[in-house]
Amino acid sequence: MIVSPAVIALMLGSAAVGLLALYASAWGVRILRHWDLRSGSESQLQLEKRTYLVSTLMAWAFAFQVGSLFLFIFTAEDLHRLFVGAMCAAGTLNVNEFGYPTILLKVGNALLAGIWLIVNYTDNRASDYPLIRKKYAFLLVITPLLLAEAVLQGAYFAGLKANVITSCCGSLFGAEAQGPVSSLVGLPAGPMRAALIASLSITFASGLLFRSGRVRAGGLFSVSSLAAFFISIAALVSYISPYIYELPTHHCPFCILQREYSYIGYFFYASLLGGAIPGAAVGVLLPFRGIGCLQGVLPPVLRRLTFASLFLYFLFSLLVVYSISFSALIVEMD
Amino acid sequence: MSLIVLNGITKIFNRGRPDEFTALSDVSLEIEPRGLAVFRGPSGSGKTTLLSIVGCMAKPSAGRVLVKGREVTSLPDRFLTDIRRHTFGFIFQQLHLVRGISALENVILPAYPSGEGLASLRERGVRLLDLLGLAHRADTNVEWLSGGEAQRVAIARALINEPAIVIADEPTAHLDTKLSLDFMAAMERLKAEGKTILFASHDPLVYESTMVDRVLEMRDGRIVAERRAS
Amino acid sequence: MNWIDKQRNIVDFALSSLLRRWRKNLALLCVYTFVVFIVASVVFFAEALKRDACLVLEGAPDVVVQRLIAGRHDLISSGHMEKLARITGVSDVKGRLWAYYFEPSVGANYTMVVTEEAAGRPGTVAIGAGVSRTLLAGQGDLIAFRGHDGAYVSLEVARVFPSSSELVSADLVEISEEDFRALFGLPEGIYTDLTLRVRNPKETVVVADKIRRLLPDTRPILREEILRTYEALFDWRGGIVLAIFAGAALAFIIFAWDKATSLTLEERREIGILKAVGWETSEVIVMKSWEGIVISLTAFLLGLVLAYVHVFFTSGTLFEPVLKGWAVLYPRFQPVPFIDPYQVATLFFLTVVPYTVATVIPSWGAATIDPDTIMRQ
Ligand SMILES: Nc1ncnc2c1ncn2[C@@H]1O[C@H](COP(=O)(O)OP(=O)(O)OP(=O)(O)O)[C@@H](O)[C@H]1O
Ligand SMILES: [Mg+2]
Repeated sequence: MIVSPAVIALMLGSAAVGLLALYASAWGVRILRHWDLRSGSESQLQLEKRTYLVSTLMAWAFAFQVGSLFLFIFTAEDLHRLFVGAMCAAGTLNVNEFGYPTILLKVGNALLAGIWLIVNYTDNRASDYPLIRKKYAFLLVITPLLLAEAVLQGAYFAGLKANVITSCCGSLFGAEAQGPVSSLVGLPAGPMRAALIASLSITFASGLLFRSGRVRAGGLFSVSSLAAFFISIAALVSYISPYIYELPTHHCPFCILQREYSYIGYFFYASLLGGAIPGAAVGVLLPFRGIGCLQGVLPPVLRRLTFASLFLYFLFSLLVVYSISFSALIVEMD
Repeated sequence: MSLIVLNGITKIFNRGRPDEFTALSDVSLEIEPRGLAVFRGPSGSGKTTLLSIVGCMAKPSAGRVLVKGREVTSLPDRFLTDIRRHTFGFIFQQLHLVRGISALENVILPAYPSGEGLASLRERGVRLLDLLGLAHRADTNVEWLSGGEAQRVAIARALINEPAIVIADEPTAHLDTKLSLDFMAAMERLKAEGKTILFASHDPLVYESTMVDRVLEMRDGRIVAERRAS
Repeated sequence: MNWIDKQRNIVDFALSSLLRRWRKNLALLCVYTFVVFIVASVVFFAEALKRDACLVLEGAPDVVVQRLIAGRHDLISSGHMEKLARITGVSDVKGRLWAYYFEPSVGANYTMVVTEEAAGRPGTVAIGAGVSRTLLAGQGDLIAFRGHDGAYVSLEVARVFPSSSELVSADLVEISEEDFRALFGLPEGIYTDLTLRVRNPKETVVVADKIRRLLPDTRPILREEILRTYEALFDWRGGIVLAIFAGAALAFIIFAWDKATSLTLEERREIGILKAVGWETSEVIVMKSWEGIVISLTAFLLGLVLAYVHVFFTSGTLFEPVLKGWAVLYPRFQPVPFIDPYQVATLFFLTVVPYTVATVIPSWGAATIDPDTIMRQ
């Protein structure tokens, strides 16, 4: 167990998010069971008031979730000095088997909580809560994941012991490494670049089509924006990061977060997360466009979401182009 | 078309508990645009309750309310509030000005969430106060205002969102005769501008005034009689 | 933009509402600031100690080789040096001389070391500020040391180390090799331990392994290992102190909860008025959130600045007894000021998150007052 202030802060943050979500879910269950908009009964009025509480709780939970994701990476970066062989967060996370699952769950939960807030926002704009049951059922799915994240994170920190020998990015993300994480590295640069360009182009094209009124393009846009998220991360590992490190063999997704690389990693990941959340939300909301009250509400919301997603992916693309073109490294593509 | 339609409105407080109380039972009513209507009746007859339901401040236990033809009883709170703040202006018996801020700030308070810039809000607020002859007191803290001045600040506040309907509950209960007459004169101007005005009052000075178009008599949560000016 | 103007209006009202109840809010602000101050002081102080220690170790040799006899540290002979120098990747093998010296008159233990600077000036010593303080000896004074044979050796103080490095140099006495050997009766060719450098830092572990096999009676100590132990130790101490102060934080949460739930009648009336004149529940919640954000950020910044001053300009007066453990040669620690986004982010999480969680439900409760209640007052 390592007890540094940041570890305490993270545990506290996770406990807070878990508590908020648990409390929100308790009301979610009651709303699922007793909701009846037509009734003017006292209990219905009380439930309606509770929806405000749940929205507020989840908004804060999301804010803390995103904050704790970055603080977690920051902490993993900082703790690397405690472990033999760890040069950055990649090594710290590898110290025990809970490290990588925790961070994956953190990213997933941030995505889900963001989507929930967007669904909630949309639902509140329609005059008869058309998505109320769906969104509270969705909430009941997210809450256990948030709790699981808190538990995994606790297990991870509890299992940390200084001086443990771990392997770091050099071997984890090295060319000859084995295992699921490192298989990303093995992806050849040429095809990876093609996949990245393809997924981003499809996202941009379908997004622009969707915004100009082709409803059909919306589904494609949503799927491709989510795919672009994962492909971009894979591309960061396999193809983009060597340009940033100016070393053809270094593929770490975490070292780019360090000061030496002017914290550029935070911009990469923030723009990706910001692009993926609204993009995925478009896909979640699209099937409901036929529902009575949403007909008027949904189109402007979808347009704005699409714009936000496209804008952030555009920023991401600029960052990628910038990193590659200003790099001293020149890679032969075959 | 009627501005507001009430259809079989019943309001029961504390339903299902021993102290259950039916404040309104099966009230139906139509209110046309323009004109001044007064609800009168003994204490406890349900005037305030009825006004709060008409003004979309509270929901009825049963029955329907239509505002400008739109059914509002089953609307979520945020939509109801939106309709309320663009349709109704309220003047309360106790005025209920926010202490510690200026008269002008009190006037523009209801318009804060509209997203109108503070500068243009202030301008409109000053114009309203000016109409009521109170422009020189705009920056005075409301605690320092006299009863009549405070009353006029409350009127200006009710008008800042340019509502179609002004609702006042016992507006003259705390005023002497002169101030009551001033108040009625201000309401007369509003009526001339085409606003609809609803009062609850048992002050003869109000319901016997010549500008009243309609008096609705209430008793035990029902409207028992109605008199229209010819 | 409409949305921005709306937020600006709401913030405007939130600020005026905070100022109108300045007594209550000032009390809250003071307690909040105090908690941030305490927590931030702990975090800054622990980090400053850690940095200081790491800074000193930066210059330390990569590997130190000590000879063990029956599990205890023993002197090592120059014969080992040649064997070490033959290991591939190893360079710069040197013998080190250092010792502990107990001074009965003040009851303190000094660390005596032979350094290259001191080697050129036999008959003199350079001493740490702690030694200087306990012996009341300054530059130019003579200090008498009792040798292994009971005879006293007097040495002149050539220099006192600056107090900026006090944490590690407080008890230090730098001495020349001749004087050292004379004082402790050590023959030539014998050293306290050996140091060496490893050309490729990634090979230190491999080299250490070779040393263990080649010289079975020795143990290699890696600089990295010491660094790690230090880090873990300081982090751990900082964590313990934080855990103690978690009690303070808890009291604060209860206080915040109480402040937020016990809305005064006046406040309830005000929120009732807002709702009655057309504010919507979520707008009141936003207004309350802005109030919380303003209070939090103010307290956070104030607490941070106060802690910064406390740790870096008054040397953390309040914590020295807890975080440092030397008795007589108590160092006056002068930490180097730093500000690190990581520490700030951590502190933000430690203080603002609990406050927000404690106040979110009460503000919601206040925001859902029914608008028609105001008609009956
Ligand atoms: N929240 C409540 N819970 C229980 N009973 C209530 C509540 N609000 C009002 N009542 C009751 O409903 C009845 C009608 O109240 P209302 O305020 O509408 O009367 P009113 O006609 O305005 O009387 P007044 O002339 O005294 O103002 C009263 O008997 C009152 O006690
Ligand atoms: Mg009344």
